[in-house]
Amino acid sequence: MNVAFVVQRYGLEINGGAELHCRWAAEHMSRHWNVEVLTTRAHDYVTWADHYPEGEETINGIRVRRFSVPRPRDPERFGRLQNFILEQEHTERDELDWLEEEGPTSPDLLDFIRRRGADYDYFIFFSYRYWHSYWGIRSVPRKAILVPTAEHDAVIDLKFFKDLFRLPRAFIYNSEEEREMIQAVSGNHSVPGLVVGVGTEVPAGAEPERFRRTHAIDRPYLLYLGRIDQNKGFPQLFDYFLQFKKDTGSDAGLVLIGNSILPIPDHPDIFPLGFQPEQDKFDALAGAEALIMPSFFESLSMVTLEAWALGRPVLANARCEVLQGQCRRSDGGLFYGNYPEFRESLKLILASAGLRRTLGENGRRYFETHYTWDIIEEKYLETVRRLEEEP
Amino acid sequence: MDDVKPAGKETIEGIEIDYDHFDVASIMTQVKRAAARRPVEPLEAKPEPPAAPPAAPEPPAPAPSIPPPSKPGLKEIVKLKLSRAIRPFAPVIRFLGLPLHEEILASWAEIGRISRRQDELSDRLDRALEKIDRRFSDSAAELDRLRDWLDVRLVDLDRSMEYVKLLHNLDHNLVVELTKLRIEFETLKSRARILEKDLEAQTRRERVLEKRLGS
Repeated sequence: MNVAFVVQRYGLEINGGAELHCRWAAEHMSRHWNVEVLTTRAHDYVTWADHYPEGEETINGIRVRRFSVPRPRDPERFGRLQNFILEQEHTERDELDWLEEEGPTSPDLLDFIRRRGADYDYFIFFSYRYWHSYWGIRSVPRKAILVPTAEHDAVIDLKFFKDLFRLPRAFIYNSEEEREMIQAVSGNHSVPGLVVGVGTEVPAGAEPERFRRTHAIDRPYLLYLGRIDQNKGFPQLFDYFLQFKKDTGSDAGLVLIGNSILPIPDHPDIFPLGFQPEQDKFDALAGAEALIMPSFFESLSMVTLEAWALGRPVLANARCEVLQGQCRRSDGGLFYGNYPEFRESLKLILASAGLRRTLGENGRRYFETHYTWDIIEEKYLETVRRLEEEP
Repeated sequence: MDDVKPAGKETIEGIEIDYDHFDVASIMTQVKRAAARRPVEPLEAKPEPPAAPPAAPEPPAPAPSIPPPSKPGLKEIVKLKLSRAIRPFAPVIRFLGLPLHEEILASWAEIGRISRRQDELSDRLDRALEKIDRRFSDSAAELDRLRDWLDVRLVDLDRSMEYVKLLHNLDHNLVVELTKLRIEFETLKSRARILEKDLEAQTRRERVLEKRLGS
């Protein structure tokens, strides 16, 4: 079976959630199907400017076809358009203008899908909100499977997405909450869709002591992994954490791994380490008292799954329905909706080794039941099997 | 790290964790209650020290064999009067020390949050209603404009209908006149044919008469 994974960016250096999700899924499903990746030459998700050479290359055994983005995004114009369509009365034409600016606008990619559609049995599109998914699904609706990677942000309510969500043959959702949200927005209950998510690979020998030695961290710490920006729940987490220190006199530190686009408070208990290699990341995770996920919007938090895979508890922002839902279903994490709840939950986690262990074990069990790669691969195969059996 | 395998129940700052029936939802309910009980303190404020334990009763002083009658001082009199004054409220005051008070505080905080949320929603509703009202006014003005335009068009239409009626009558009359003319034409044609035949007969008679006169 020939299957094309269509995604906005692709590469070993690209660590964005949906892109990494796509790469891992493509690499694992290549054990079952002839997999190709159709993507753009972009590396930068702000402008989509061409970066990689045009044409074909092979990445981890997968053939990748790259197409040019002739008109990069103008962030200023995009911001204006987005404000307009989110705040003002507008027409569907305005929404299409927004989509053109959202990009990555690659007519060659679309042309390839139209011309060579017959060569593939299925196209699996990643991320509903981008140009390639919108026009790609419209070009080959009978072969399209959508992995929406949808978060609870405002653009999902745009009118033209309602029609889009009814077009594909099937959906591969990341979570129950994502499925409920998309079905509520579009009423696409008749389109089949499994909750699949993504697996993760955890190195066998995580060494927390090595991490502590390398970075001279000599106290219990909470860990945040990922980009440090406003959508991810900053600077609220800084405020909460510093107030927590003042209120309780706790000696816990906050370790941040990931690039920041916000100023980080200069405080002896906050350790901004920037981008770190995978091994260091898992070493840090294995030694953390808990992983903190302050993000407001997630369709599936891969670092949460990684924390659970390592048996570590999670403290999540309850405003993110997906994270709260996962904590409730797994019994693997606590969550907070405001500062007093943050304080009480964190106090509890730091005070009780038994609670940390139980949350972590529950998380690990949840991960092993739903998110190992064998299970994820089987769900992808099941999705396609069901489509093949349709009359 | 965290090597202890927990079992049974553990209570931390009033939050009970039942490891045999572990449930995050139940822990979160207790966390929310605890959060409501302990409101946010300003950064500078120090946490209040826990209430002092009741002082241990002093050992009774050796009673004198004959207690000397003592006159109560002003302080004792005020204390006595105060204690009499607050006696009716004593059960309520006792409640303050019971968990019920914490429950009430938690509920109170919850009601406060809900009220704030309600106020916010109410504000949003007001704003939305204002917006709808503005839209409605705009639409009403637009409707009036359309109605005026329609009135003018209706007058034009009435006039046009009158013209059409007149034209229709004219057509009808023309058809009648044309029909009459046609009939008259046919009559005249018949009369012309008769006259023609009469003329032919007269011509033949003339020729016969001329022959007879010539012979």
